[in-house]
Order: sequence, then C-alpha cells, then structure tokens
Amino acid sequence: MTVVFQIPELETDRLRMRAPTLGDWPALSDFYASDRSKFVGGPMTAEQTWRTLATETGHWALRGFGRWALEEKATGDYIGNCGLWEPDGFPEMELGWDLLANATGKGYATEAGAAARAHAYNTLGRTTLMSMIAPGNAGSKAVATRLGAAYDKMFTHVTFGEVEVWRHPGPDAL
Amino acid sequence: MIGAADIPTVQTERFVMRAPQLSDLEAYTAFGSSYRSVGVGGPFTEAQSFQRLAALIGHWSLRGFGRWMVADKDTDEPLGVVGLMYPSDWPEPEIAWTVFECAEGKSVAYECALAARAYGYETLGMKTLISCTMEGNTRSEALAQRMGATRDADFTHPDYGVMRVWRHLPPEALS
Repeated sequence: MTVVFQIPELETDRLRMRAPTLGDWPALSDFYASDRSKFVGGPMTAEQTWRTLATETGHWALRGFGRWALEEKATGDYIGNCGLWEPDGFPEMELGWDLLANATGKGYATEAGAAARAHAYNTLGRTTLMSMIAPGNAGSKAVATRLGAAYDKMFTHVTFGEVEVWRHPGPDAL
Repeated sequence: MIGAADIPTVQTERFVMRAPQLSDLEAYTAFGSSYRSVGVGGPFTEAQSFQRLAALIGHWSLRGFGRWMVADKDTDEPLGVVGLMYPSDWPEPEIAWTVFECAEGKSVAYECALAARAYGYETLGMKTLISCTMEGNTRSEALAQRMGATRDADFTHPDYGVMRVWRHLPPEALS
C-alpha cells in the first residue's frame, strides 16, 4: 500500500500555483535570509529554510490544504508562496502570502490571494477567512485591503507574539 | 492534480511502517516535549511538533524518500519514527530512529532500522548509509553497533555541533 497526497494546481491570469518543490529552495532561502522575512518567522538559515519547505509541503497532507508555490507564467520563475495555512497554534485557517523581493509591486500577492480565497470558499466550502499580519507589515496590510479585508482583532501567537487579524469578505459578499 | 508524495507502507515482522498522519500528532508532540527528544535537538513546543510532523511528510516529497511512522500492527498506535533522512545540512542520507516511551524495550528501532536499511539498498539502490549520533546518546550508538555499523569521521553540524558518524554495512556485506 502506498499513501499519496496531492496538491491541486490553480491558474490565474499571470500565475501558476503549484506544489512546492526542491527547486524553489535556493530562491526561498534568499527570501528567508533577507529582511523581508522578518514578519513571517525569519530571518533563518538555508538549512532551516529547507525544513520550512518540507513543512509547507507536508501541511497539505496533514490538513488537506496548504500553500502553493507561485510561478510567473511569462517567465516560469518561482516568485513566492501563497495559500491556506493552519498549523498548530493558529486560531483558524489563514490566507497568507510571501513574495520574493523581485516580484513585488505587480499585484501578484493580490492575484494569488484571490485565487486561494476562492479555493477556500468554493472548493473547501469554508465560510470565513482571515489573514494574520504583523503590526508593522504595511505591505501585507495593503494587499489585505486590496482583497477587501479589514482589521478585525488582535491575536497573540505563541511564536510571533501580537499580530493583527484581518477578516476577509465572506463568500456571499464576493 | 499532481502527486506531491508517494509514501509506501513497509511491513516488518512485528510492526507497520506507514506515512505519518494527523492522528500521530498527539504522540509526536508528547515525544517532542519530553526529555527523550533532547538527543535529536529537542525539546520542542507543540507548534514545533506540528511543523516537524509536516516536515516528515514533506521530506518524502522533496527527496523521494523519508521517515515512516512506526505503528502497532493491530491497533495502529504510533510507536516511533524510523527511516531515511537527508535534509540539506546532512552530509549524506542517514538511517534515523526515534522510539516513543510507550514502545520502549521492544527493539522497535532495531527491527525498523534494518527494514529502512534494506529499503535504502534494495528499493532505492543506495550504496552506503550512515547514522549520526549526538554526544551522549549511548543508546543510539549501541543500536548502530548492533546493526554492524562502525565509526567514521565526525561531522560538525551548524546547530547541533559535533556529531558522530556511524557507517553502516554496505549492501554487498548483507547479501
């Protein structure tokens, strides 16, 4: 007997959302080595990033959903991660996004976030969704705002400390 | 849909080695929070144990092999984690074992490590395998020796420090 777990592929106008692979590791390591990762658990070493990549993939098997690797269709380049995340310690399912430094300013997080949110509502049948954002993370708040989300409340995460919970419009409002 | 990982089930004489799953989290968290995890970098918080359980599965996806949850053949109760491990900061693929407290003294690690070694050699075609132990983990060292492994040059891990490398018998010595 073999246990297989699968990661569905999504497509948006400009992005392919696919399973994370080992090929994403060098670029993801650069992201986690940089200051950009300070709001999402970094910075961390390349070795710690390798385990994070394994965790991202395995989350799909444990929860039946997870985060996709984002690939720019025009170039085939890996440009970040986005998807649904609910590890132990999270109050509910979260919609999250991380973009590599060279992929910002193009609306990719908003585009991928909308597709992941639609997956949560339409495929998984969820009725609400939030994003947890570090208080100083203005870039992510701008993405959340573009997605129609609004500040809901504070939450104290065991590792990240105080974070803001941004509530997305429900399926009916979309 | 694309397959993210195929995790085969391996039967040993007394145990089943299967894909880790969410129902193993309680046992894995209990192990991670106990003194028993000190030899593998612990203790770990509940949140870390979830991430590590996910990473056990994700390793299969990244490498095409990994570690199994060892379970009781009748009850499926998780007894430990044994298999082949090769994260980026490891010198080469290793046979790794962890046994939960409830399964102590039943030679779970020995029986399943032999199965993992056979899987590495026979199914994956590997030519050599090691096991790494942290200083003071005399029980794991005794198990490596019981399997016929011998000391090789030490390896210095960036976080765990100096680790002893045990070189397992090669495939040709087992046939």
